[in-house]
Amino acid sequence: MKTRKYLYILFPSYNDGLALESILKTKFISYTIVPTPRDLSKCCGISMKVEDKDVESIKDIVDGNPNISIEGIFELKKPRKSLFGSL
Amino acid sequence: MADYRELWKSLDMDLEKHDQLCEVLPKFYDEIYLSQEKRPEGMNYFNFVIAEVHGLRIQELAEHRKNGQKVVGSFCVFVPDEVISAADAVGVGLCSGSDFWIPDGEKYLPRNSCPLVKAAVGAKTSGTCPYFQSCDLLVGETTCDGKKKAWEILGEHVPMHVMDLPQMKREKDKIHWMDEIRIFIDELEELTGNKITEESLARGIELINKKREVLQRLYDLRKEENLPISGKDALLVTQIAFYDNPERFIEKTNELCEELEKRVQNKESVFAEGTPRILVSGTPMAVPNWKLHHMIETSGGSVVCEETCTGTRYFENLVDNTGETMEEQIKALSDRYLNINCACFTPNPGRIDDILRLYKEYKADGVVYYTLPFCQTYATEFKKVKEALDKADIPVIMIESDYSLQDAGQLKTRLEAFFEMLEPKKEIAAANK
Repeated sequence: MKTRKYLYILFPSYNDGLALESILKTKFISYTIVPTPRDLSKCCGISMKVEDKDVESIKDIVDGNPNISIEGIFELKKPRKSLFGSL
Repeated sequence: MADYRELWKSLDMDLEKHDQLCEVLPKFYDEIYLSQEKRPEGMNYFNFVIAEVHGLRIQELAEHRKNGQKVVGSFCVFVPDEVISAADAVGVGLCSGSDFWIPDGEKYLPRNSCPLVKAAVGAKTSGTCPYFQSCDLLVGETTCDGKKKAWEILGEHVPMHVMDLPQMKREKDKIHWMDEIRIFIDELEELTGNKITEESLARGIELINKKREVLQRLYDLRKEENLPISGKDALLVTQIAFYDNPERFIEKTNELCEELEKRVQNKESVFAEGTPRILVSGTPMAVPNWKLHHMIETSGGSVVCEETCTGTRYFENLVDNTGETMEEQIKALSDRYLNINCACFTPNPGRIDDILRLYKEYKADGVVYYTLPFCQTYATEFKKVKEALDKADIPVIMIESDYSLQDAGQLKTRLEAFFEMLEPKKEIAAANK
């Protein structure tokens, strides 16, 4: 079974996610806002999927902006089993 | 992470069961939406709305209610949002598109009811949909027998108002529908304590027209040869239009359209050249019913337009905003809404005209006619639609499917065969250009 590596940033509230988004936009760092994977948290809400290569820059941005809180950056290795069967 | 459990508890939800529902969505969305290549960046907003589907928007509704506003849930494109807005109430679309709610719906309804009706009843009775739980009033309509009887059952759980939609389009039916709009105005005035005036109704008409215009702007971009957005993503935007804050939705969808217009200028497409273009026609697809679009777009096709209630029927034709008196405004609302060609009408030649027109406008190569099981009106109307499409030499396939994923393999085989069949037709069309 194939596995893929993802990095997810989790936030205490959606406002933190939106604040980080506005900075990433200006710095042309790619990101995707996603529903938080259940493997990472039981709480509903947003998280941000980012590329491995950008993580250090994003950490610097978060450190330099005390108004943005994150709960952490997590890696998720998950088996790619389709809900639609073997399509 | 934001914790909405207190909010859900305050809405008298079944938290344990709701947790099971939350378990499914991220994975389902990830597979269907986040797996796409070359998605527009502007779709991040719509990812956000889905991620916060039971969070932020529910919190906003709770705040509206705290401030004395009422939340009004509806199920159908015939319920005039303009009136809800004019009463300073908040409208939310409630059609239910998840398999999760079917077993609870079947506790109240016959198994051979359509999935949409079963899911709607199941969503309410299971206490797992915070939108239903946030509503001060539900507004039903008489577009099918299944819904009509379901309203009686839902009415045991939540205040219910039913609009009697005529099933023909004679002059007397138009007069009747105007009367129904007047009754709806009275009902909302009583619910909210706010008088609906010419001014507030004009504002409501302006706002909802703007929402229609931005959706038309988005759909116009799907007429391009190079498709700047997938059918799945466009469907998501339309679905979200039903329950998002309208002003914010208009702003964010306009932003998305600006990005898509740049893509069009640069001839960027999310699909490979030559991918068959499909017009989907039929029954509505409520969140999270993304199955058919996903099947089409992972079987070699692209969806360019939906002639459905979660597509063109929702936003085509604006309400005439020149009316100055309440009567003129009500007439304008009635005219616009009765111009929707739902299969509940008899006869319904306008729908065939719409399908033929949309096929041309969106440069489609074929039509996928979609019905939910047990939807008699749409299933029966297929005969007339197919005759008209055959006459115009337009290929069509009928797909009847519910929310479960069990028939995915079979659907894929059928769709792939259909798309293969379109190839020679496309070559002939290209040669004749």
